[in-house]
Amino acid sequence: MKTEMVAMILAGGQGTRLGKLTKNMAKPAVPFGGRYRIIDFTLSNCANAGIKNVGVVTQYQPLELNAHIGNGASWGLDGIDSGATILQPYSSSEGSKWFEGTAHAIYQNMDYIDQLDPQYVLILSGDHIYKMDYEAMLENHKQNHASLSVAVIEVPFKDASRFGIMNTDENDRIIEFDEKPENPKSNLASMGIYIFNWGRLRSVLRTGYAKDSTMSDFGKHVIPAYLDSGENVIAYRFKGYWKDVGTIDSLWESNMEFLNPEMDLDIRDKGWRIYSKNHISPPHFITEMGSAKDSLIADGCYIAGDVKHSVLSDDVQVKDGAAVSDSVVMSGATIGKNVVVKRAIIGENAIIGDNAEIDGTDEIEVVGYNEVIGVTLDED
Amino acid sequence: MKTNKMCALIGNLHRYNGLMPLIKNRPLATLPFDSKYRLIDFNLSNIANANIKSLFMVFNEGETSSVFDHIGGGKEWNLDGIQNRFFVHTYQDFIRKDDNNSSYYEVVIDYLRKSKSEYAVYMGSKILCNIDLKTLLHIHRTRNCDMTVVYKKIAKQQTSEEDILFTLDNEHTIREKTFAKDVTDQDEVNLCADIFIIKTDLLIEILQQKQAAGILGNVESFLRERISSTTNAYEYTGYLNNIFDIRSYYRANMDMLDTNKFNSLLYSSQKVYTKMKNEVPTYYTETSIVNSSQFATGCMIKGRVERSLIGRGVTIDEGAEVFDSLVFAGNVVKPSTTVRCAILDKNVEVDEGIRIEGTPEKPVVVEKGMHVTQDIIGG
Repeated sequence: MKTEMVAMILAGGQGTRLGKLTKNMAKPAVPFGGRYRIIDFTLSNCANAGIKNVGVVTQYQPLELNAHIGNGASWGLDGIDSGATILQPYSSSEGSKWFEGTAHAIYQNMDYIDQLDPQYVLILSGDHIYKMDYEAMLENHKQNHASLSVAVIEVPFKDASRFGIMNTDENDRIIEFDEKPENPKSNLASMGIYIFNWGRLRSVLRTGYAKDSTMSDFGKHVIPAYLDSGENVIAYRFKGYWKDVGTIDSLWESNMEFLNPEMDLDIRDKGWRIYSKNHISPPHFITEMGSAKDSLIADGCYIAGDVKHSVLSDDVQVKDGAAVSDSVVMSGATIGKNVVVKRAIIGENAIIGDNAEIDGTDEIEVVGYNEVIGVTLDED
Repeated sequence: MKTNKMCALIGNLHRYNGLMPLIKNRPLATLPFDSKYRLIDFNLSNIANANIKSLFMVFNEGETSSVFDHIGGGKEWNLDGIQNRFFVHTYQDFIRKDDNNSSYYEVVIDYLRKSKSEYAVYMGSKILCNIDLKTLLHIHRTRNCDMTVVYKKIAKQQTSEEDILFTLDNEHTIREKTFAKDVTDQDEVNLCADIFIIKTDLLIEILQQKQAAGILGNVESFLRERISSTTNAYEYTGYLNNIFDIRSYYRANMDMLDTNKFNSLLYSSQKVYTKMKNEVPTYYTETSIVNSSQFATGCMIKGRVERSLIGRGVTIDEGAEVFDSLVFAGNVVKPSTTVRCAILDKNVEVDEGIRIEGTPEKPVVVEKGMHVTQDIIGG
């Protein structure tokens, strides 16, 4: 069967704004919500929308991401005629295939797409938390005989100048694109999700690079080029929870929103599950002195202290007398006795020694992966 | 290196009536344990951890659907590799073959031959332990004997009438084997754990002899029969549960709230694997009061839970109280209910304001899928 649409997830972002958390890990691999990683949302959307082939384009620190995605089995992408493929830059006889921008990354991976010979290519970013049915977007794309569809979300007008803003006509055809405009004419922000007719995009990229012109970025170059050449570019309106978790503040905030059982993302909806790689740990244990309130707790945790308004990933230990509040604690971290953790993100396998205090009241405090804070006594 | 040193057989035929109604529609093997496991997970993990690549299981007819549902393709226990395989057989097929005068053990013999492994390990289903079968094999080989059987020192009250107990001398030689019902004067006994290692060829020979003699039994009974003073007895020192009635089952679960026992069984050098589910982490609301309990993922805890084990995807509503209980997956406990010393099987719904109360000696069991609309006071 011919592949109708291939998804390309751009997961190579260095994510420098996440500081310590992305020192050794690509941004999409950063843990989120207790047992997920950021990219799980996009991958699960692909699986749920019936997309069978997903190329994951990586560039910086791909180890963790590769280990997480593997062959895509955790998302059911490992069937016949389907699969997740990690696409990394490499050196070829024509020179290095390093990626200079979003569109350039697709250009460099043209062989992968060509080999599947799809009609459409779905471009996604691996660092957003949202649920979206790409199949519905494709239907809309076909109905409108679009050459390019861009998913857009209404943002508050005051924030609009931070985004790529789409100005549309009454049929949601995009007539103008403003990258981070000072005086936005609309509040329709691009979500960085595109459906292209592959044949057309392929030739635009090839011609662009043949002429030595820069066609490296979708927002800066490709979309304007499409508009200039009068292509039918359609805005696809998305309603629902969508969050770019590119900064410490937004990552923390998004985790806190994730806590709320009534949140729009509706994480417990069995009809649109978010899948992740499963790790096997025993059930979590709350001791006689332990307590958990307004918190999400994953398998393998051991809670002897008080946990409040926090997200705890697999195998976290909170020892007696410790108080964790308004925080995100990633897998395998140990919070020592009588430790106070407030408004913090604690990285994987970090160890907070007894009696230490991590206070992020003014600014979210971040403890890196494997970081050791304070004096740790021998394990009892 | 020869990789398939051992093949494995798991038997699950004896029906312990004392476990009704928990085993009404499932074999003992798939009975839930400690919030997210099934008893068979321990056997399967023992097998996976010893790199055993081939497994033969026998169940009673009509009990296999929960087995297939749980094991699926066997991925979680590494049974789905290109060199790995497992077979599920029903005991009633043996009986039918016997009725037709055809050779009923052929399928087992065939399996043993095709496994191309030098040794066969047999495990029953009611013993729960995390045993290193590689070490067991190593010791079996150094002792140079026909068969090795595993035993555990255990309190007499933790045994059922049909359990086999050993009397050993100082050299760990089995002097006597007796049924537990015939032993009255001991507080501590050596329980036969029904875990055996035997040369595959010898097991084939036993089955052929039984076949020739027209005896219809099962592998476990033949191995038990063969225990003698020349059998090597291996003392298992890790944590072990013997599960044969509601009380022993309830106690074994409650043991998991004892950190030492829990760590011994689940955090030993060998991992215990179970079916993977994509559940959200468990959410505790502002109103939750929880302590001394364990929880699987996917739960919504708004009420009070003490000294209890909560399965996957359970909802405990606001104002509900659960004490000293086992709550299996998918339960919904509505507001203002009290559940004490009870075992709620899967997908039970307890209506608002209901009281379910048993005693630690006699916990109340609520059957799978029940909608509880009236108080149940037992004990």
